[in-house]
Amino acid sequence: MRGVNKMSILINKDTNVLVLGITGKSGALQTKVMKEYGTNIVAGVTPGKGGSFVEGIPVYDFVKEAMENHRIDVAISFVPPAFAKDSCFEVIDNGIKFFVLTSEGIPDHDVIDILGYAKLKGTRMLGPGTAGIIAPGKCKLGAHPGSMYLEGRVGVVSKSGALSYEVGKTLTEAGVGQSTVLAIGGGPIWGMTQRDAVELFNEDEETEIIVLLGEIGGSLEDEAAEYIAANVTKPVVAMIVGRAAPQGKSLGHAGAIIEGTKGTAKSKIETLTKAGVHIAKNPEEIVSIIKSIRGVN
Amino acid sequence: MKLYEFEGKRIFKEHGIPVPKGNVLTSAKDNVEVDAPAVIKAQVLTGGRGKAGGIKIWDGENNAADLLNDIFSQELKGEPVRAVLVEEKADILQEYYLSITFKGSTATPLIVASAAGGVEIENVAAETPEKIITMEFNAITGPTDYQIRYMANKIGYENFKEFKMLINNLYTAFKSSDATLVEINPLVSTPNGLVALDAKVVLDDNARFRHEDMHLKFIKEQKSLEGIENYVEPKEDTITYVPLSGDVGLISDGAGTGMLSLDLIKDAGGEAANFCELGGITNAQTMYDSLDRVANNKNVKSILIVLIGGFNRMDDMANGIVRYKEEKGLNIPVAIRMCGTKEEEGKEIMKQANIPTFNNLLEAVNYAVTNAGGE
Repeated sequence: MRGVNKMSILINKDTNVLVLGITGKSGALQTKVMKEYGTNIVAGVTPGKGGSFVEGIPVYDFVKEAMENHRIDVAISFVPPAFAKDSCFEVIDNGIKFFVLTSEGIPDHDVIDILGYAKLKGTRMLGPGTAGIIAPGKCKLGAHPGSMYLEGRVGVVSKSGALSYEVGKTLTEAGVGQSTVLAIGGGPIWGMTQRDAVELFNEDEETEIIVLLGEIGGSLEDEAAEYIAANVTKPVVAMIVGRAAPQGKSLGHAGAIIEGTKGTAKSKIETLTKAGVHIAKNPEEIVSIIKSIRGVN
Repeated sequence: MKLYEFEGKRIFKEHGIPVPKGNVLTSAKDNVEVDAPAVIKAQVLTGGRGKAGGIKIWDGENNAADLLNDIFSQELKGEPVRAVLVEEKADILQEYYLSITFKGSTATPLIVASAAGGVEIENVAAETPEKIITMEFNAITGPTDYQIRYMANKIGYENFKEFKMLINNLYTAFKSSDATLVEINPLVSTPNGLVALDAKVVLDDNARFRHEDMHLKFIKEQKSLEGIENYVEPKEDTITYVPLSGDVGLISDGAGTGMLSLDLIKDAGGEAANFCELGGITNAQTMYDSLDRVANNKNVKSILIVLIGGFNRMDDMANGIVRYKEEKGLNIPVAIRMCGTKEEEGKEIMKQANIPTFNNLLEAVNYAVTNAGGE
């Protein structure tokens, strides 16, 4: 395989992609944008639309048929929430090892069934409700605007999609490139977590510095901090948003709510600081911390 | 959607979970259909009802009407009491806590049980977490026998068969109604077996398409208690709007960037008047509706709009902003940071309408804060 020492985490230049829900409005538009970026989309699946083409890409009725005709490494789904569960089972049953689930609003019980089944079958899931993942200059799966990213050696994991664009843009404008940028989704239930991404970045030869973007509510960042303290040898820079958030009000993401003293930005920042993580207050500080770690100005 | 206790108990009963005999009253004049001793319980959606005085015992010596009048006159954490549940008083041997919910980070269902149930469960969790037994299980197998045996053993409940039936019934209720939480606190043992004295059920709004009738029934019932008959649901949007106390109006097209903007406004010496995030549906109308909500707050002296389009298109956003300005006027300073998908098209639309845009987020924040009169 080409580019053995050019592996970013999870996806790279040689990744062959299957798009679920490729004929839908969102699926077709995103397929076009991903293809323009250089992502190798080899096939799509929409039940009942087999034999047609989207952006020149062949569409099949079943994942099995797409697999028989193409080498497929990863899948991304734009299937509407009510139909997500069955289509996810189909992808998982076909042995695809990495699956990006962008759909938002899937019932929690379905999400639990999907993620539980994926775990049993060994499929790594990103999402649901994720903006996706981009390996700048190589491949993008999802909504990350290509122009905001630059190939390089900083790995970025975020809960929020928009925040991962914001930080990507700021890094890129400062000339700081990224190995891979991914968003895990707003929750309240996740496949990959920030901890899982940190683990992959720590093992990834392409990644030199890890950026962790979190927010108030829940305990994912604390779990990542625990992992970092015990295992991570690379420098980690974190930004936790919601420092100025009020108590007891949910801010856009299901889990972004402070109740009592749990899940506050303050407590997360303390836990991360104890784990040896550098803390930034805004995206521009992330840049300056990275530059000082690298010893450049 | 959170359900009232009496609504949750209806679901419990349908799934074979024992609850006390009782009836719901919507006024102090309604008939009580059980005999003393009975428990009179305010029906509110906020927690901490017991501590706040929302539960009274009618022992037969005191006057039920006085107790009812007292409870109906209460407000619990700002929520007026609009319904009361009167139930036969159970003969309690021991109180337990039992719930089923999801754990997000491991994506598993989770049973939580404790032999220390009752109003102080939060303190138990904080002070003696070892008394709370948690058991993750796989949704495909459901809770297995050995797991249920383990829990029964750890909380010291000896009738395994009965406990197993209760767990299985509760799990069926959880799953078949697409709930995100079913909680019994307290679950009590009585000479006649286990009884659910309370019920907390939260239904998943995302699963409404599978339970349209049930959701609609609960929504109408809750609105009717609030005195709203023939309730018509507002047209669906995905906007999250949270009022705050400052003077900088804020709109973002992402939750994370919205929270970042709140922080940056504060760091710049200002204070946000609200949090407003567009959510999953991002089109010109959503932008228009968001501006309408934010600009209608009289405290707002400037507006900060933070846009970074992935799925969201900047030409749509620009069209929403321009139409709002044309139709409603926008006579306070507005700082718009616009970038991402269809950025050039969006900026061109803004330019035609003579509305300036920013590229840099911190500059936009500073402009909005300075013009609101902050430092």
